[in-house]
Amino acid sequence: MARSTEPMKATPVKLDPRGGRPREKSKTYIEGLDRMLNGGIPIGNTSLLAGTVGSGKTTLAMEFLINGAKHGETTCYISVTEPSSKMLENLRTYGFFDDSLVTEGKLNIFDLGIINDRLGVERLDGSYSSKDMEALLGAFEDIVDELQATRLVIDSITAVCYQLPDRGSIRNFIFRLGQFLATFGCTTLLISETIVDASTQTYSIFGVEEAVADGVILMGNVQRQGDLLRTMQIIKMRGAKHSRARHLVELTPIGLSVVPLLKWGQETGTMFS
Amino acid sequence: MSYISEVRESFKAGDSLATVVVPANDYRDITLEIVSKLLGSKLGGIYVTTSRPATHVVAEMKERKASLNDLYFVDMISLTVGGETGDPRTVFIDSPTMLESVLLNVGLLERRIKAKRHFVMFDSVNGLSIYSDTRMLKEFMNVLANTMRLRKTYTMMLTVAEQTPPELESVLVTLSDRMIRGEAGDG
Repeated sequence: MARSTEPMKATPVKLDPRGGRPREKSKTYIEGLDRMLNGGIPIGNTSLLAGTVGSGKTTLAMEFLINGAKHGETTCYISVTEPSSKMLENLRTYGFFDDSLVTEGKLNIFDLGIINDRLGVERLDGSYSSKDMEALLGAFEDIVDELQATRLVIDSITAVCYQLPDRGSIRNFIFRLGQFLATFGCTTLLISETIVDASTQTYSIFGVEEAVADGVILMGNVQRQGDLLRTMQIIKMRGAKHSRARHLVELTPIGLSVVPLLKWGQETGTMFS
Repeated sequence: MSYISEVRESFKAGDSLATVVVPANDYRDITLEIVSKLLGSKLGGIYVTTSRPATHVVAEMKERKASLNDLYFVDMISLTVGGETGDPRTVFIDSPTMLESVLLNVGLLERRIKAKRHFVMFDSVNGLSIYSDTRMLKEFMNVLANTMRLRKTYTMMLTVAEQTPPELESVLVTLSDRMIRGEAGDG
């Protein structure tokens, strides 16, 4: 049989495995992070910002808000564990902070005392009943709604979860909070405190938060010849084709900067679960 | 050909990475000569030092009456030895093992340089090999070389001829656009 001399036409292969139309992103404006996220966090996503003590969670979350505020967005920080006055004092030590963002209402800082006033209760330091949980959800929603906030940070969701009676309630709380925030187009970071146990780092204390959240950004430490290096890894981010490589995080005069971590310089081999 | 002539030729040719192999005896003179002459040619620069505090390099450059207006430093040693850390033109790295910080801070300092064209002087591969093993250094040099290539920044890696293990030298030969070896005794 005679062979055809016509060259075979190759079927074009799409290089982007996801294809489709990308979602609109909320840029973090953090050096290196938007590249990891392929442009930023998809607008309306509720993501866990998980990490151990001293890994830079609060700094990153604050810079996310401040950068948004500097670009004209209304942003909101809810501190569950610290008074807002103390938080402001700490913020003033960063070169990227500007007091006028607070006075102009672009950066709004609330603490538990302010939330309690909104809820009309004396204290909220015991176990929440389902009624309390509804009230707290309502308070968060009211704040975002009234301010028309497009960026929100809750620091920390772990402290809120400690007040909830069981894992089902935690799941329900985060799911409903995420649903509401998504409809408002509010991009949210929930700060999650984690611990390293037997060289395994979890994404949350209760183990349910990460399943409900749209994204998980994990911060941690790597030891290299006795030095501690701050690291970051994006575990998941719905609606974004993101990097999964571990990166180094450093606080510089322009704010946090992120660069890929050298592969041979990771001594501890901490496992994630 | 002298070291500075070879460096100038390499710069003009549009090289991204050149390894400058210097004999131990003339190391300081040749290094400072290259930097002074490049700064004198209206280039800006970043000097990454792993072997001596930046304050020392500044003092030596001043002795040579070099123009330091557009020279910045990444100092990987002062914090380790308890040196002075107040110089506003210098970024001090916590520890010489934090190689990624060098990449990051060189990138930030490049934004401060006023001159249209600039160079990065990396002093030295041998200094880094005191703190990091060969496997990690190879990876670092690979990342550094390619980062600088992408940024189109002219980078010189200094090595002391007598102290560079063959394994590292072969990596430098592979990565560099040019090996500059000068002639003994010249500057």
